[in-house]
Amino acid sequence: MAAETVHRGFGAATPGWRANANVVWTVFLARLRIIMRYKGAVLLESFLPIVFASLPIFLGIAVAGSEQNAADNFFQNTNSAGQGTSEYRLYMLLGSSTFMVVSLMLWLIGYWVRREQETGTLESIYLAPAKRLHVLAGVTSYTLVRSLMAFVTAMVIGSLVFGVNPLTGNLAGALAYLIIGIPALWGISFIFGAIVMRIKEANSVIQLLQWVLAFLMGVYFPVTMFPPLVRFVAMAFPPTLMNDAMRSTLLGISSLYGPWYVVLGLMFLAAWTVPLLGYEFFGRMERRIKRDQGVGQF
Amino acid sequence: MGLGRPGLAQYLATFVDMSKKVIVEYSRYPVAFVALFVQVFLIILLLMMSVFVFSAPGTEGADVRVFAGMMAYGFVTNIFLSFTLWEVGWSVREEQVRGTLESLYLSPTNQFSNLLSRVFAVLLWTAIMCAAGLGLVSGIVGGLPATNLLLGLGLLGLNISGFLGLGFLFAGVTIKLKETAQILVSFLQFFFFIFSAQFFPFAVLPKPVLDYVSRFLPVSYAVDLFRTTLLGIPPELLPNDLALEYAIVIGFGVLSPVLGYLGYKRIERKARLEGTLGEY
Repeated sequence: MAAETVHRGFGAATPGWRANANVVWTVFLARLRIIMRYKGAVLLESFLPIVFASLPIFLGIAVAGSEQNAADNFFQNTNSAGQGTSEYRLYMLLGSSTFMVVSLMLWLIGYWVRREQETGTLESIYLAPAKRLHVLAGVTSYTLVRSLMAFVTAMVIGSLVFGVNPLTGNLAGALAYLIIGIPALWGISFIFGAIVMRIKEANSVIQLLQWVLAFLMGVYFPVTMFPPLVRFVAMAFPPTLMNDAMRSTLLGISSLYGPWYVVLGLMFLAAWTVPLLGYEFFGRMERRIKRDQGVGQF
Repeated sequence: MGLGRPGLAQYLATFVDMSKKVIVEYSRYPVAFVALFVQVFLIILLLMMSVFVFSAPGTEGADVRVFAGMMAYGFVTNIFLSFTLWEVGWSVREEQVRGTLESLYLSPTNQFSNLLSRVFAVLLWTAIMCAAGLGLVSGIVGGLPATNLLLGLGLLGLNISGFLGLGFLFAGVTIKLKETAQILVSFLQFFFFIFSAQFFPFAVLPKPVLDYVSRFLPVSYAVDLFRTTLLGIPPELLPNDLALEYAIVIGFGVLSPVLGYLGYKRIERKARLEGTLGEY
């Protein structure tokens, strides 16, 4: 009996699947309840991709001199980079909306860690008899819902603003690629959460990372325009793969990674390996921090 | 015993002490400083590549230089505006979350010095970053046009003063809006990006947008006058009435901090009366 108690604890330490699912659901619901107090935040972030897309569109028209010239020049330059299209508005809108999904998922996980540190509740979470994986699953599920909401809203409103029709392309295929790309984003957000926990100053790192993301993902142009080394790094980055897969499917252009089955294979590979690597990285960083100064210090 | 007697010396001492506190805070997060620096270069590279993807093969070097100058000088105003909004507004939010905002308001510190000190260090750092960023663009395009440098710097000073006013007002809005302020500041950044044409000429904007939005924003005149002065070309918004454009920019630089601070005080007072100052 005593050995059994030592082995299994008093119940709290050995939760079953129902309790685990409850942890995920409770964390998800808590985050959702908190953000629903700030409805303006949810609304405004849906408009950001539209603004973000309009920047290169205006720049392009300014450089080219007219909309037609912008489309022609864009076609010539992207064609020589392996992805010729004159649909530069939809190209930018889709890139910006996908970027927003990636950015929000990282931003929200980073801020969750930082906010819990600042309010002094991170250590309490660590003392709770719940696995970190389930807490993180709850938070990342919330970030997923929020970022997908922003994606859909931005695509719908952006299409109206820029006068483009995403329904002419294979929208279902593009959305399927988005969904397959999500697990890899989870993995990256675990890594990012661990980094924020370590270096603490989330604000500037997130801001920097936003631009690194935009740069590497090829939000405004095909990454094949980069020099070889940067191109290699960019193409090995899972969000670039996701962005390229969605874009090539929706716009009917060739993917930078090859035929569709290669793209699909790479997406599944990323979906399988990146979350495992991300969680392992998170675990290692967490153990290191706990050994040093503890997770609550900020 | 001295602290309670307001005066210029006390305001100055508050400003110096609180600026020191901000610098000490920053020194604990060196990654943040490096991140800011790298960020500037990334933004410039991203935008330069966006320009190249739309430019026709064989575009003249002089055309590229003027366009790059317009974008790079506009970028300078953008980064000062962004950092002012982020630092003043967001630091108030952080104090709310940490629970130190109410304590700060119970101390007999001057609120103007308090707000100003939040942005002082980052503005110094931004100035260094801008110089380096302009050097980068200059290197890429083979030299940026830079006429009327002293006048340009004077105008930049007025612009920063005007942006501070917006920052003060935004600090008040942060107290009111709380979490939403984070998104609002991002939105404002992009709003001025577009409607004050910080990265492209005003001529690109659709006419209704130019006439009914951009022309009503003092920031637009600040951006326009600063960059056209440095580029040595006539301003785009009021090419036939330079005096009026100067008057708007000077008025913005002088009045904006005053109005912004009054707006901040009003919101802050309301929050104190309602007891929501530290609520987040």
